[in-house]
Amino acid sequence: MNFYTPNGGERPIRLSASTRAFAHDSLGRKYGLDTLKTDAIPLDDIENFSALTKVEKYDLAIRKIAENAPIRLCEGERLSGAATLGMAIRHLIPATYAGKSVFSSISHLTVNFEDVLKNGVRAIRQRAENAFLKYRGTEKEAFSQSCLNCLDAFEIWHGRYLKALEKLPEYGDNYENLKRVPFAPATTFYEAVQSIWFTFAFLRLCGNWPGIGRMDYLLGDYLKRDLKNGRITLDEAREILAHFFIKGCEWINGQFVGSGDAQHYQNILLAGMDEDGNEVTNEVTYLVLDILEELGISDFPTTVRLNRSTDEALLRRVAEVMRYGGGILAVYNEDTVISALLKDGYDEREARKFANDGCWEVQIPGKTYFIYSPFDSLQLLQQKTLRGYEGDVSFADFEALYSQYKADLFDYIESFACGRAQRFQKDETSANGWKWAEHNPCTLVSIFEEGCIEKGLSYLEGGPVYNIHSPHIGGLADTVNSLYAIKKLVYDEKRLTLSELIDILKKNWEGEEVLRQYVLNRYTYFGNDSDEVDALAARLLSDFADICVSFNGRCGYRFPAGVSTFGRQLEWSPKRLASPHGRRAGEVLAANCSPTPGTDREGATAMIRSYCKADLSKLATGAALDIKLLPSSVAGEDGLQALMALFRGFVALGGFFMQPDVVDATLLREAQVHPEEYQTLSVRVSGWNARFVTLNQEWQDMVIEQNEHG
Amino acid sequence: MSTDKKLIVTEIQRFCMHDGPGVRTTVFLKGCPLRCAWCHNPETQKGRAELLFYQNKCVSCGACAAFCPVSAQKTGAERRIDRDRCISCFACAENCPTGALVMCGKEMSVEEIVEVVQKDSAFYGKDGGVTLSGGEPFAQGEATLALLRACKTRGLTTAVETCGYADGTLLRRASPLTDLFLWDIKDTDEARHMQYTGVSHRAIYENLRAVNETGARIRLRCILVNGVNTDRKHYGRLAEIARYIRHFDGLEILAYHAYGGTKSVFLGLKDNGRVDWIPSEQQVLEAKECLRSSGIRVL
Repeated sequence: MNFYTPNGGERPIRLSASTRAFAHDSLGRKYGLDTLKTDAIPLDDIENFSALTKVEKYDLAIRKIAENAPIRLCEGERLSGAATLGMAIRHLIPATYAGKSVFSSISHLTVNFEDVLKNGVRAIRQRAENAFLKYRGTEKEAFSQSCLNCLDAFEIWHGRYLKALEKLPEYGDNYENLKRVPFAPATTFYEAVQSIWFTFAFLRLCGNWPGIGRMDYLLGDYLKRDLKNGRITLDEAREILAHFFIKGCEWINGQFVGSGDAQHYQNILLAGMDEDGNEVTNEVTYLVLDILEELGISDFPTTVRLNRSTDEALLRRVAEVMRYGGGILAVYNEDTVISALLKDGYDEREARKFANDGCWEVQIPGKTYFIYSPFDSLQLLQQKTLRGYEGDVSFADFEALYSQYKADLFDYIESFACGRAQRFQKDETSANGWKWAEHNPCTLVSIFEEGCIEKGLSYLEGGPVYNIHSPHIGGLADTVNSLYAIKKLVYDEKRLTLSELIDILKKNWEGEEVLRQYVLNRYTYFGNDSDEVDALAARLLSDFADICVSFNGRCGYRFPAGVSTFGRQLEWSPKRLASPHGRRAGEVLAANCSPTPGTDREGATAMIRSYCKADLSKLATGAALDIKLLPSSVAGEDGLQALMALFRGFVALGGFFMQPDVVDATLLREAQVHPEEYQTLSVRVSGWNARFVTLNQEWQDMVIEQNEHG
Repeated sequence: MSTDKKLIVTEIQRFCMHDGPGVRTTVFLKGCPLRCAWCHNPETQKGRAELLFYQNKCVSCGACAAFCPVSAQKTGAERRIDRDRCISCFACAENCPTGALVMCGKEMSVEEIVEVVQKDSAFYGKDGGVTLSGGEPFAQGEATLALLRACKTRGLTTAVETCGYADGTLLRRASPLTDLFLWDIKDTDEARHMQYTGVSHRAIYENLRAVNETGARIRLRCILVNGVNTDRKHYGRLAEIARYIRHFDGLEILAYHAYGGTKSVFLGLKDNGRVDWIPSEQQVLEAKECLRSSGIRVL
């Protein structure tokens, strides 16, 4: 039984044979295929369904799912609860009426598992009952009632599992362990893991895709206590935790070819400081790393929070696990993240709690409504500032061009910051001129987001403590490189006028191969530690961030800036015209905050330095740098030292988020030809990992291209 | 100050993992007294700037011919460079849009080199730093010492890769400025050494002895060329040398590869790469095993 590695190294074995077999089944799609048997629960037998309010329909859907979704008990599993309905994997609530799905569901949030663990769901119910009494007879009654209905449904589902387990002696431990949690506070490590799992599984059963958050922060104290009391051993704890990860692969079914079948946003963070500034790293941190190392599970994209004082032992362990490839580990520099959150207005204790939403967009878990709006800064330059290469465009100097671009950026963000105000309605009576609009019900996740129950408002209606709408700039390197090439060609070297250049671009560089080669080869672009072009990137990011936060308070949102493409460079490419930095129309260009493929010639350290020249603490929801490393370059003790050195430099220079992947382009080509032999080969796509064979050709090619050049 | 000294550099490569401990920036200095038949970096042999031509990048635009003052650039169907005519003015390279023509070998001051090396200071940690390689770094004499001194002054950890064929006094003076010598042992058979490198290994041993006496930390780097030095006698003599070194850092086996031959073509020379010289993985393992069994630390 092998768990794939790109470097051919043997993964260490610490888990029991039965747990490894369970992992093999789960990663081998056994449970994912099982979800295809029951796609959704029909609501057609509900009388007068069409006449019900949205919230009533929603509550009934959740209840029906809780009552009727297939129960799954896997052989030998240590944790109970499973999201068994196929439609949930399509980001929908798996309930249908007249054959059609009724509601979409919620993702990009990390719910408040800390509340569930420490206080138990019963305490949450008590709050919901208090809120119901408070809001009875008001317009908020329906939501408050809905909270109680969804909690009822949760208890029904819990009861069904207990009943199923009770009858089977081989599940005696599972039964005992599930009896109290998640409704009562967890008292042991085993209960704590079950409590999170069961809550997570129910949210997923109902179609939602929450993140997990800081697993070692959540579970560390429970384990410490149990170890001290001799209630558990580390090996035993590792087994239990491994089942959490293995069960988390229950949606792998190989059915969704495209951007991969593993992106369900169930992110995990490890290490870093707690509210008081003390390091969190504990036994759970290392157990999680052990599990990722042994099983190569990529379905929980895991990020380690590093800082200037991160222990050498942890750095080393992270490097060791990362070397097996698959991109299953990424790193934050929490020094930058926390200072970004402070600038964005959070208080320090709150900022230190940060987790993320599904890729790397930073948020305070259990308290944040989050949405991001990606846009292509390159198309903006081409279509707006340079008028689609159709009009007569001229600027006195480069500064004039840059100012125009900045103005265009402002207009664009303003229009779509407000355009995105669909969650709002104009309201002359309110202080800021807006009020939250009525939205599709999303009670289930709202229950686990601080603020919703108390305010009587759902997750989508301003319930959470923080409401974030983050504009994300894409195509950054390409825009910077385009601007830089124009600056050099037109204004510094005066080789041709802007109109002449635009004519050439309009013809897609046709007949101008010499000039194209010149701009491709003779200029140094973003990512090579060249101050001139890096300064332009830093300037653009800074201006972009200032524009975003200038809209804070408009509607009910804050607008912190971020950088991402998340693979959108693929969907943008057909709409992109030829670029001044020598690229033809339609090329797939830079990812996230990384250099344009093929332009980075100085290696990883230069790339990190270029990236860190920008003030990344102005980008509160994140700026990701993708780094591709060849297996040979991280082999042996030298390679381990190299990875650790990259982490150290990344932190010292003020990086934000870095996702290194160790993979060989040749091997990926091989996997394209023989997908059957590479079923579990995972690659870092963007903020998530995908099994390579579940990417379609276009995505595969992009990953290979990035590996060859990165 | 001696930091205004100039050195001739072929390349400064960052994020090197295999030129000493940790992450390093390797400065390739031009000029070497040896002419090893298996040279991996033929572009660093001559101590002056040379013209490299990457034919695959040439788009036959004719810019080189237009700028060449002596008509050494032949364009058209029979694209070639008349290297006998070439006066090494590098006007062609300066004007080549594609980078097909490149001037290899650039004069840089000590200060300029140190500035580049310091860029990666955040990544070096306690082990990493700068490695001088080449070429033979000591072929550039006092300037190399000045560079080492400047690096040490800035707190950088230094390593020098040397073939050992250099002015002995210079090597001894370099010792306190060098945290690690990467000392190449090409062959331990005098006749073969003469035949394949063009020089006797006696002076090299003499220098190794002298530097060893200074207490320098020394790592041996040994090229393995199939059919030339893949014999147990050679491994035995390597072990002897290793045991002799007081502050021994380990021994590295470097397998010959034929890429140096390809690089010769860029210099306008014949491809002298020899596929039959590439040792098998088995041979490399054997060499390492043989040395290890003699109690030598093999890296």
